[in-house]
Amino acid sequence: MKIITAFLENSVNKNPNKIALVTTEQRHTYKELFELVKGFSSYISKFPKNSVVSLLFENSTEFVISYLGTLYASCIAHILPTNISDENLVKQIDLSEPRTIVTTKQFIKKIQKLTDTNIEKFDFTDVPINYNKSSTRKPEPNSISYLLYTSGTTTFPKGVPVSHQNCVFTTKNITDVLDYKEIDINILPLPLYHSFGLGCLHASLYTGATLFLHKNATNISEICDSIKNNSGSTLALVPATLAKILQESKEEILDSLSTLRLIITNTASLQSELVKKYRKILKNGHFATYYGLTEASRSTFMIFDKEGKEKSIGLPAPGVELKLIDAKNNIGNSGEIWIKGDNVIKKYWKNTEADKNIVNGWLKTGDLGFRDSEGYLYLTGRLDNIINVSGEKVMPEEIENVVKILTGIEEAVAVAMGHKIYGNVVKLFVKKSTNSQITKSEIISHCIKNLERHKVPTMIEFINEFPRTEYGKIKRFMLQ
Amino acid sequence: MNLENEVKKLFFEAFPTLQESEFDWNKKQKDYEHWDSFAQLNLITLAESKFNINLTIDESISITSAKELLACIKSHL
Repeated sequence: MKIITAFLENSVNKNPNKIALVTTEQRHTYKELFELVKGFSSYISKFPKNSVVSLLFENSTEFVISYLGTLYASCIAHILPTNISDENLVKQIDLSEPRTIVTTKQFIKKIQKLTDTNIEKFDFTDVPINYNKSSTRKPEPNSISYLLYTSGTTTFPKGVPVSHQNCVFTTKNITDVLDYKEIDINILPLPLYHSFGLGCLHASLYTGATLFLHKNATNISEICDSIKNNSGSTLALVPATLAKILQESKEEILDSLSTLRLIITNTASLQSELVKKYRKILKNGHFATYYGLTEASRSTFMIFDKEGKEKSIGLPAPGVELKLIDAKNNIGNSGEIWIKGDNVIKKYWKNTEADKNIVNGWLKTGDLGFRDSEGYLYLTGRLDNIINVSGEKVMPEEIENVVKILTGIEEAVAVAMGHKIYGNVVKLFVKKSTNSQITKSEIISHCIKNLERHKVPTMIEFINEFPRTEYGKIKRFMLQ
Repeated sequence: MNLENEVKKLFFEAFPTLQESEFDWNKKQKDYEHWDSFAQLNLITLAESKFNINLTIDESISITSAKELLACIKSHL
């Protein structure tokens, strides 16, 4: 298989009457889904090949139809997060230059606010679909399949155009490493507008499995009911939801999780305790994570079957090369993570400045890490987050992790703050947990005991909420 | 607790490895093993947050003993 739409076609040919996709409202076999996708492509194919089609949907059958239909018509699916701000929406649309925007009744007002009259704006139910026709075009493997914008924790989001080739390579790695199979019942409550959720959809279509798509991950008991009632075999969740489940620690919830063969989570360095607990909950299953960026999806995988590797983000995915470049530009066992492989994009979307981060196929990630003697990779922080205190390099993540140990702290973010004498010092923003009485001096005192002297915050500010991106990540640059 | 005791306690918080026998109100910064410029910064930060005061840069760098720290805090209360 060389293109994403072949995942669907292949599964239709093998098992047309198998249930492909289930949502709260609808269920479709592979054959039915394919007919709907082809129908949608009949409308999109009126645009020239490689035109951009912007999609704004929450998790739904309509999203899957529009997404695959766009690709089937050899166009580029620009996927918008549903919680995008009006300001970011305008910026993304300006940069992406779509021919049309398709959404649902829920979001139609949001896109009607856009003043560009050259863009067709549709509610999905009003799209002039001709189910007797379909696109006769086929996308090229090296053409762009979808366009996502990075979360923009340090700058304005960058457009990341992912080719069919990138995606096929990544999907094959996901299914091979995590052993996704046709018999799997995949439970997915993650947004499809994020690379993590989208990758799970691809894996399900690729293997010809059944996907139960939930609108979101906030209703934990609904997800657990779905696992129980549908004999779910895999579940994808972000670390924050996994931690919430443990906090609530309800027996029936933990029981339903215990039957899964796989729980997959993503990216962040996980708390060791969380890994250990999930290893215990999954009686016969595996707990796994991966590391990647939208620009280099699923670059490593970590299956937590080994004791002592709980903080690792794993080993490179098959066919992916990683190297660590230190401050003196030497290759070593620690430094900035560079990635090369067919999962890495060729270039950013109309962004020559960002393209400088891709050199001879190597993507400079800006993530810092180290490798242990067995080759397992560990994340330590972000290059652009480093705080320079009087010439001493300080990783904010180290400070944050020390502070978060304290009871009464929900979230902590350390940033640089200008200082007359030291150039920069550390300023810490803290969100206290509900009813927490913790004081600034208690936090400072704890830092003095647990950090080197130059890493201790000089100023602490309590805040109610952190500014976040549409993907939920904290916008550090807004705190500087 | 009186102010003197509170400042002394704060001093031990800023220098967690300091032994009781090593403390003296008049002992100077240079005679403390760990009282470098970063420790100075931490000491001031801790004092500011504990007593809810703000010291100027000049005040901060002029403190070179526990006695001077006490005097400076007193002047702000």
